[in-house]
Amino acid sequence: MRTPVSIFIFLVTFFSASSVLAELLPGDEIARRINARDEGEAVSRLLLMEMTDSRGKQRIRKTKGYRKYFGDEKRTVIFYLAPKNIKGTAFLTYDYPQPDKSDDQWLYLPAMRKVRRISASDRGDYFLGTDFSYEDIKLETRVSMADYQRITTGESEVDGFHCLIMESKPVNVEIAAELGYSKVEQCIDDTIWMVRQSKMWDTQGNLLKTINFKDIRGIQGIWTQHVIEVDNHKTGHHTRFVFSDVQYNQGISDQIFTKNALKRGQ
Amino acid sequence: MQNIINFLLLILWQSVSLAVEFETAITATGRWFINTDNGDSQSLRLNLIPELDVGFNNGWQFTSSLRLQAEVINGLQIDDINRANYSDYTKPALLNREIELELREFYIQGDISNTFVSLGKQQITWGKADGLKVLDIVNPQSFREFILDDFDNSRIPLWTVNIEFPVAEWNFQVLWIPDQTYHELPKQNATFAFSSPEVVPAGPPGIQVNLKQAERPNNIFLDSDFGIRASTFWQGWDITFNYLYQYNNMPVLRQQLAISDGKPAVTITPEYERTHVFGTTFSNAFADWVIRGEIGYFTDHFFIAKTPFLNQGVVKSPELHYVFGVDWNAPLDILVSMQLIQSWIFYGADKITRDRLDTSITALIRRNYLYDTLVAEILLIANINNGDGIIRPKIIYEWQDNVKTWIGADIFYGDRQGIFGQFNQNSRIAFGIEVSY
Repeated sequence: MRTPVSIFIFLVTFFSASSVLAELLPGDEIARRINARDEGEAVSRLLLMEMTDSRGKQRIRKTKGYRKYFGDEKRTVIFYLAPKNIKGTAFLTYDYPQPDKSDDQWLYLPAMRKVRRISASDRGDYFLGTDFSYEDIKLETRVSMADYQRITTGESEVDGFHCLIMESKPVNVEIAAELGYSKVEQCIDDTIWMVRQSKMWDTQGNLLKTINFKDIRGIQGIWTQHVIEVDNHKTGHHTRFVFSDVQYNQGISDQIFTKNALKRGQ
Repeated sequence: MQNIINFLLLILWQSVSLAVEFETAITATGRWFINTDNGDSQSLRLNLIPELDVGFNNGWQFTSSLRLQAEVINGLQIDDINRANYSDYTKPALLNREIELELREFYIQGDISNTFVSLGKQQITWGKADGLKVLDIVNPQSFREFILDDFDNSRIPLWTVNIEFPVAEWNFQVLWIPDQTYHELPKQNATFAFSSPEVVPAGPPGIQVNLKQAERPNNIFLDSDFGIRASTFWQGWDITFNYLYQYNNMPVLRQQLAISDGKPAVTITPEYERTHVFGTTFSNAFADWVIRGEIGYFTDHFFIAKTPFLNQGVVKSPELHYVFGVDWNAPLDILVSMQLIQSWIFYGADKITRDRLDTSITALIRRNYLYDTLVAEILLIANINNGDGIIRPKIIYEWQDNVKTWIGADIFYGDRQGIFGQFNQNSRIAFGIEVSY
């Protein structure tokens, strides 16, 4: 008697779970909704970066960042304001909508007094001493449609918010090597279509980083994350980004997104 | 020049009421070099750089910095440098034999409509090359330590009017430099005094050589340097076209034989000569690689003749000077950077002390560790013609945001006739510390 009951319970549970999964949005649709979310044509903001190593040594950077869409092309620039040893450093990216077209990136180092072209295939490298990769910085609140294949694996909760769990894997080993990730699992708030938490696994399959997006508030009608915390499980290093003075669509000049502006400190 | 300074001071004074943000900083750097040949200290130097930036609510910004430099080792002391290269408005103040005070930056910058204006004492950098210069010649350089000092330290800021404006897809930069300051060269007894026959003439054996003071141009308007640069971004390429009408920063060393007190003597007269410079630079990124380069064509360059008294010991020729470089972002966050630098003399190559085609290469390998707090690198600069060069390993560690230390070495090799080999007894180990607030 027990066996038929067990099979019955198993079958009911199995089909119930399957039907729930079947009701969940597909990964690509979630990604599309994330990327369709309004993030403003342009934004300016102050950013405080706190980097803490495994021994507790902390470094702090203050930056001012701008991002603006030129049609489908996204341009981002970050100017370092403090401390003294890094003040004047600036980073500019042109992110093109064509998946087969590499980004163009430039870095200005005040000690060199020259704007240097840097290779976009550095995108898996850590960004200027933080736990973010250049690609993480570039994507901000978006996800890459071209680099990953994704599925929805279930539901969860982060900081009290319901979210869908989306698992993404690079489309091939070359992309995985470039990005430095073999798998990304993201918890997406399905009421505002923002990522609340991301987990990344390195190319060996070990859990590498956990990123938590916090203090998400509406600014000028646009959902905006104000705190991002990254724990690097491999190194014990921790990065915390705190955004302030966020302003959308406030007449940001096109000239800020130029190499000349990098040299001038905007 | 005094009128320009007065004008700048007037602008500053009127702008004080608009000032909204004052920012100050100070950087102290200590460096100690030990000669590897004899174990003696080669240099013990302290730099103190206070800075003041003022931001105005109209978007303009004033930047200023001083540099107090103290050197206690004879041969590299402040007074071991020939200072005749400086204009009166740019010359550092010599406080005593060991200490000098220099106004490094003093400029105001801002936008007038679509035009960016920067007025005052500043550095202008052109070009894409690392370690050696082709088009990075707008500002002269101090050769107190040959090319070992960071270019940011050794580049001599000039009083400059810099105007930049966009036209369609191009950005133009126009320069007017009414500052007759040129390369700072060591005296003959200094540690890094030039001795290579490619750079300085060697007097005939047994004949007295008298070096006269350089005859420096001094008409603020007629002797100004002028430059223009057009830059654009086309099909993924960063491209510039450059033109500079300048006095070559290195003086021409003309020689004359005369009888003095019944004995023959050679008199060397340094003179500055004008040249037109036409140049271009380019760079692009392809996957893991960045390709970059710069080309400069100099209409009037002077080279030292093999025969001291032919055309006063100099040969004039156009020169084509260029650099091609590749940067490879290798696995494990390693940067590998290679450059080929060549200089081609058009006329009279058989009469001068260097080859018609002079070739150098550079190779840099750099790796960042510990979230960019530790940097290890090794740089090779080698001249192929003379078989000489320099090897520069260095490790930099950032203890805190405002404290970093480094240890390195500058190892010269090759024959003393060569540009690098002339210093083959000056190889050294370097220790440094920098603290900033």
